[in-house]
Amino acid sequence: MMNTLKIIAVVYLLAFGFLNNANAILPIEKLDGYKGAKGYLVQTKTLPMVDIEVSIDAGDRYDPVGKSGLADMVAALMQYGVRGNNGSLTEAQIADEIADLGANIGLSVSGERAILRIRSLSRKDLRDRAVKLAAAMLSAPTYEAKIVEREKQRAITNLLEAETKPEFVLERRFTKLVYGNYPLGNAPTVKSVAAVSANDLMQFHKQFYRGDRMIISIVGDVDRSQANEIMQTLLQKTSQSGAPIAKLPELQRSPVEPLAQREIQIPFDSQQAHIAMGMTAVTRSNPDYFPLLVGNYILGGGGFVSRLMAEVREKRGLAYSVFSYFSPGKDTGIFQAGLQTKNEQAAMALEVMSSTIAQFIADGPTPSDLIAAKSNLINGYPLRIDNNRKLLDNVSSIAWNDLPLDTMEIWTKQVEAVTLEQVSAAFQKYLAMDRMKIVVLGAKNK
Amino acid sequence: MRSNLLRICFLFLLCVPLSWAASSNPPDTHEFMLSNGLKLIVREDHRAPTVAHMVWYRAGSMDEVNGRTGVAHVLEHMMFKGTNKVKSGEFSRLVAAVGGRENAFTSRDYTAYFQQVEKSKLDKVIELEADRMSNLNFDDAEFLKEIQVVMEERRLRTEDNPSSLLNESLMATAFMTSPYRHPVVGWMNDLQNMKAADARDWYRSWYAPNNATVVISGDVDPKQILKAVEKYYGAIPMHELPVRKPQIEPPQKGIKQVQVKASADNAQLAMAWKVPRLEPGKLDDPEPYALELLTAVLDGYDNARLNRVLVKQEKVVNDVGVGYDMISRGPELFLINASMAKGKTVAQAQTSIRKALEELKQKGILESELKRIKVRILSDQIYKRDSIFGQAMEIGGTEMAGFSWKDIDYMLEKMQTITPEQVQAVAKKYLVDEGLTIAVLDPQARKSEASVEGK
Repeated sequence: MMNTLKIIAVVYLLAFGFLNNANAILPIEKLDGYKGAKGYLVQTKTLPMVDIEVSIDAGDRYDPVGKSGLADMVAALMQYGVRGNNGSLTEAQIADEIADLGANIGLSVSGERAILRIRSLSRKDLRDRAVKLAAAMLSAPTYEAKIVEREKQRAITNLLEAETKPEFVLERRFTKLVYGNYPLGNAPTVKSVAAVSANDLMQFHKQFYRGDRMIISIVGDVDRSQANEIMQTLLQKTSQSGAPIAKLPELQRSPVEPLAQREIQIPFDSQQAHIAMGMTAVTRSNPDYFPLLVGNYILGGGGFVSRLMAEVREKRGLAYSVFSYFSPGKDTGIFQAGLQTKNEQAAMALEVMSSTIAQFIADGPTPSDLIAAKSNLINGYPLRIDNNRKLLDNVSSIAWNDLPLDTMEIWTKQVEAVTLEQVSAAFQKYLAMDRMKIVVLGAKNK
Repeated sequence: MRSNLLRICFLFLLCVPLSWAASSNPPDTHEFMLSNGLKLIVREDHRAPTVAHMVWYRAGSMDEVNGRTGVAHVLEHMMFKGTNKVKSGEFSRLVAAVGGRENAFTSRDYTAYFQQVEKSKLDKVIELEADRMSNLNFDDAEFLKEIQVVMEERRLRTEDNPSSLLNESLMATAFMTSPYRHPVVGWMNDLQNMKAADARDWYRSWYAPNNATVVISGDVDPKQILKAVEKYYGAIPMHELPVRKPQIEPPQKGIKQVQVKASADNAQLAMAWKVPRLEPGKLDDPEPYALELLTAVLDGYDNARLNRVLVKQEKVVNDVGVGYDMISRGPELFLINASMAKGKTVAQAQTSIRKALEELKQKGILESELKRIKVRILSDQIYKRDSIFGQAMEIGGTEMAGFSWKDIDYMLEKMQTITPEQVQAVAKKYLVDEGLTIAVLDPQARKSEASVEGK
């Protein structure tokens, strides 16, 4: 039903459409810097709401040795007590205030950064109060000892539970294997969380939560001067800079090793075996980002139509979920592929996944693969930017990774420019089967 | 800051007008009925050049019969396995080629399929979706592979997931006759014995325009949409649907308890009470709204009652959650879930939960607690409009439960009129032992040494 000519026509028409619509993509405005922080704004006026994100260069990679989990707790506990202008606010008062405003304030931490997000109605009085509350969290969390103890105990209880789950045990072991001695290799353990003190939280916050380590992204119903005002209110009490922070070690590329050194079996009495395979890869700013993006769509990123999906699920019925992805960031990210299957067929599933990846690295995509991938990515681009939340994700990624401000405007052109040779060359340059780490978790599977 | 804060807070609450959220140009929605019984609902939203297209079939796991649990969901998988015109797997390739995102989902009440595309591609996905409404044609070999995939899905989501196992036992215990007692994915033994013919029978029985609602939201012109929908869906003949037996659950007469042993570190407790749901045609019944608000008073924000008392003050549970959905085709439960804090027992957690509920039943709730929840409901009306996909989901889910999308705003207004006394009254009336089911997860150590480090 689907023939090559038809798809070429689709891509051709679309490219034309996008040239005409280039102006439809909303521009990112750079705000005035404040306290060493950068700020960015996309104005969308159709709904009376605003989304604000503060990214802080204070992710898990800065966890001190033996205290993994510290960065997570520093962020999470900001909502459990702050000193305000005229006295303190308890965790109960903070929660009630957020609820009364009809706002959301969320905190999360990834390997690279801590993120505070506010969603508020754009009406000035409501917005102001949400922003002031967030400002107090960013500048003056109290980390009261009693609350720290309670939250540590909760985190430990959650960890003990997680350690009974196949996906968690697999992921932790795989991460350690790929990152090795790089800080992100050390996931939180019961011991490392227990070692964290209230004073550690205070010190970490003081050291990392400062203007020159923050980026603010705003999307919604505010103009430029209002956005500048938000930024100033957010950072009013935050210090601009502080003591220099030790440089992180370089992440070493996954080395060539014999299989026995790269592959780990974890005995586990679950019904399914869980399998992970991968290695170190690239940063987001890597010039080969687009060939890898397009290539991975074909290999294991493209939902129901990827090669891994076809080989593992469609042709053989071996798994419900099978995937591959790159996770590029400011730092070198990793490439990872995975699946889950009943224990008896783990070896077979691993073989199918490995050979599919190996063949893709060796031979690259076919011309029709490449056309289909570009067709999906280009035609589907509007779906990546069609609401405030998604726009915020984009602005945030662009700002964090130091990408050009016209990244959204030129995205489809960059996809279109990718050639077969570039995809093959990039996969061969960054991935290699004799470097892939493999973890198989499950009941006796040999 | 504190005193100032409280004052502003008070002022704000006084000033919130009810129409506040609905202020800026409310969304334009249109409804059409085709002559073959297919209902079309179009929500115009011109913020971005994209569209969500969904077809909802009023056929979920509650319509399954003995020995064939899971067939609604299995058929959902088979819908991607080819029609008379489109061969297996081709549906997804064609949607991908136009840049679409797609998937499908099955619940107790319905099965739904969706695509999200740039607006000029809408016709293509309508054509594809309409094709598989009446022309599905998969072969037995495809079925035999896909049923394996479904069993892997069950292993992943249920067999190796203690919380899911607990929930499965809870439902099977709480309900004796209602088909809600069966899991949507189906029992493993039923999956092992399912035949391609079972899936085909299901398809022939329930997949008909007169059992379907198409919901389209986004940057569209309703007149053009109607034309396209008539062109592709309009030609499909309607047919008679199987008789649905009411299978009304008889009243419960005392506490039911069930224990589940599964690999876990920590015990879990689930307490579920039989409660009413909102009935179509009885939109003014205050009880379901009061139950929704009770849910939020107990668990709607970080300082809501159960989290405050059980997690933060008494430290008896590690996490607690409350669930209730007043909109559904089948019987509803008011559900409290908790995982124990380290060193605390299920009995201690149950005592604390009961104490918190007792206090609420005796002393009621504060006006300020309720207002807080109502403000959240108002602001969510704005936030939800950020997602055209979310809007289509809300419309579809509401329609499937037997209501009209037009009822959504009325329900939200009705919610604003509920008083603290009404919330207290439903707690007193329904959170009683006669209708209670208790499920406990008894954690078992794994035989393997999961935390062994080293190669």
